[in-house]
Amino acid sequence: MNQLIEDLEDLFDNAPCGYVSTGPGGHIIMANRIFADWLGRARSDIIGRRFQDFLNIAGKMYYETHFAPLMRMQGFFHEVALDLVRADGSKLPVLVNAVERRDEKGALSFVRITIFNASDRRRYERELLEARRCAEKANAELQNLNRTLEERIAEAVEARMKSEAALRQAQKMEAVGQLTGGIAHDFNNMLAVVFSALNLLERRLAKGEDVSHFIAAAKDGAGRAAALTQRLLAFSRQQALAPEPICANQMVAGMSDLLHHTLGEMVRLETVLAEDLWQVLADKNVLENVVLNLAINARDAMPHGGRLVIETANSHLDEAYGAEHDVKPGQYVMVAVTDTGVGMSPEVMAKAFDPFFTTKEPGRGTGLGLSQVFGFVKQSEGHITVNSALGRGTSITIYLPRYSGAPEARNHSEAQMPVCGNGSETVLVVEDDEQVLTLTAQMLRDLGYHVVEARCGEEALGALSAVPAIGLLFTDVVMPDINGLRLAEAALERRPDLKILFTTGYSRDAVVHNRLLDPGVNLLQKPASLEQLAAKVRTLLDG
Amino acid sequence: MVFAHGFGCDQNMWRFVWPAFAEEYRIVLFDHVGCGGSDLRAYDIGKYASLEGYADDVIAICRELDLTHSIFVGHSVSAMIGAIASIQVPELFDELIMIGPSPRYIDDDDYTGGFSEAQVHELLEFLDDNHMGWSQAMAPVIMGNPDRPELGQELANSFCMTDPEIAKRFARVTFLSDNRADLDRVTARALVLQCHEDVIAPPAVGAYVHQRVSNSAFVLLNATGHCPNLSAPEETILAMKIFLAGERSAAQNVGP
Repeated sequence: MNQLIEDLEDLFDNAPCGYVSTGPGGHIIMANRIFADWLGRARSDIIGRRFQDFLNIAGKMYYETHFAPLMRMQGFFHEVALDLVRADGSKLPVLVNAVERRDEKGALSFVRITIFNASDRRRYERELLEARRCAEKANAELQNLNRTLEERIAEAVEARMKSEAALRQAQKMEAVGQLTGGIAHDFNNMLAVVFSALNLLERRLAKGEDVSHFIAAAKDGAGRAAALTQRLLAFSRQQALAPEPICANQMVAGMSDLLHHTLGEMVRLETVLAEDLWQVLADKNVLENVVLNLAINARDAMPHGGRLVIETANSHLDEAYGAEHDVKPGQYVMVAVTDTGVGMSPEVMAKAFDPFFTTKEPGRGTGLGLSQVFGFVKQSEGHITVNSALGRGTSITIYLPRYSGAPEARNHSEAQMPVCGNGSETVLVVEDDEQVLTLTAQMLRDLGYHVVEARCGEEALGALSAVPAIGLLFTDVVMPDINGLRLAEAALERRPDLKILFTTGYSRDAVVHNRLLDPGVNLLQKPASLEQLAAKVRTLLDG
Repeated sequence: MVFAHGFGCDQNMWRFVWPAFAEEYRIVLFDHVGCGGSDLRAYDIGKYASLEGYADDVIAICRELDLTHSIFVGHSVSAMIGAIASIQVPELFDELIMIGPSPRYIDDDDYTGGFSEAQVHELLEFLDDNHMGWSQAMAPVIMGNPDRPELGQELANSFCMTDPEIAKRFARVTFLSDNRADLDRVTARALVLQCHEDVIAPPAVGAYVHQRVSNSAFVLLNATGHCPNLSAPEETILAMKIFLAGERSAAQNVGP
């Protein structure tokens, strides 16, 4: 029996938890050694005190307000987290269980309080709390991300579009650089011809020798330069077209010699021209240039010779085709140029109309050929298609809108010889470029006209009032003060019988540009030869 | 007779007391908003940031039940809540029974509240800090309870339903309030019931309340702790009955 008591006492004192018993009044009547060791106090210090005396202030408060009432109501409490305060002031996190023990009559005998060291558990709890806080924060951030997802997609798309636009701009700049290089090269060659011809002309003139050869060379160089600028303007769709009713069959037939000459002996030219072909309204010179361009491309695609077919036909583009290819449905005249050459890969075909794209080696082409064709066709409200495959030739088909007006007027043979003035007619020349003005005036005087010069619109209107003899106003379109069209309107108000002839290199202004294409408007494309100028002026004064 | 529970409890704390008055009085028991079985959605942070918010609820309950000249029994912080309600609408209560009241828990120059400011802040920090240790540890106590399931259910509706956030705010308003000035304005006849060894509201605080409330009696119970209604219901009931019977002399005999 004694041994059993000894054993139980040992168990009580050395159990892995603190034991405390309180009497009915709440005062401690017994405490084990472990509890006393945890507190760092002698057992005699503990007996007679209350359990809550060894809690921190919050513990005291909660013990009184929560756990004491709880135990009174249900007779026990389990696993309440509290902090013991040791004698040295430090804290020990504990879990506390308590249970009432009552006698047979139901009176409270004592309360058994069991205390577990919860240092580790409390640390885990803190870590768990911290982890939960992090998870909640991450979750909140995720939800926020989801909420702003649309916004961020829009931002990303916008950024992407910006970068793509920047890329396109960079590509454009690269292309412009490529073009500029090509043009500079060509121009230098042409200018070299003009310069050397002029130098030689100067020397030979001093010696009184025959100079006609050099004059011809200089004119040729300048003419080629003018043609280049024409091609540039065509590409940019800013050339001033002078559309007229054309029969494509006649035009192709008229080009026969030129084409044979251009294509050489290796390439056989065939024409398949439809009967009763409709007329088209187009700039004849440009259209000829287009066909020539396509023929040259075809020739270059057939280095070992082949066959070139130029075909014309009446054609109807229906609604479905029009919607698919962004072209107005209706009646068109088709002109197709087909070769039996090397053909194009799909990659090359996709870029065929890109400005500056060329498969030719540097210096041999600016890449403007096909894009110039494309520009002309689009400017003429037409349509163009390409069929090609590697090794199977290329077919380029142009559709130009049918013209239903009066038939083609006449051929231009009259322009072969300069037509002169009768010495009594007066032309008012308006041009803001001093040199061009002087030169134009000189050419007209050479042709036998009186010339009044004006450098701007205002000066021109003054001259009109001062010189009643002026029969023709020959004006530049693009001028600093008022443009040629406005000047013409003002002039016609004063002199309704006045004849008007416009000249322009190009016009950026679409409205101005379009009005130059109106029927009844007379336009002389810059730069014009003496013959062209003479013919236009004569035609107008006689009209 | 309206019974109002204090911080940490709900109307269950009156279970040993109210039956003693049920024959003589109409008994009104309720849980403060945020406690026990109250509708937690009704909790408004602004309204319940001061004891006036709780006092307004007491007034609303009395109006709803058409109570006047009744008896208010408040434990701990509710003793002050009842005092405030009685000042605002004096005809509500003829008698105030204040069990363990404290108008101010923090010591002041010549006032002893029982806590230093630092101790109260330690308490509030413990609340903020010990979220899980507190609420999680409490849950098994209540929900578990395998021995007496009938109690478990009952208590599940009280303690464990207390929202930890609301408990924190209730502690804050309870322990930081200073309603000493209100005591002078109490006109109802009052009884201050004070326990021995009450760490929440020490006897000096009870004596202070008795001194400031003009028409009051003071009884120092033999019970210890802060909840004589639970630990010594018989003694508490007796003191209340003597007071209500108008036996003021008897009550005062027990006083200081």
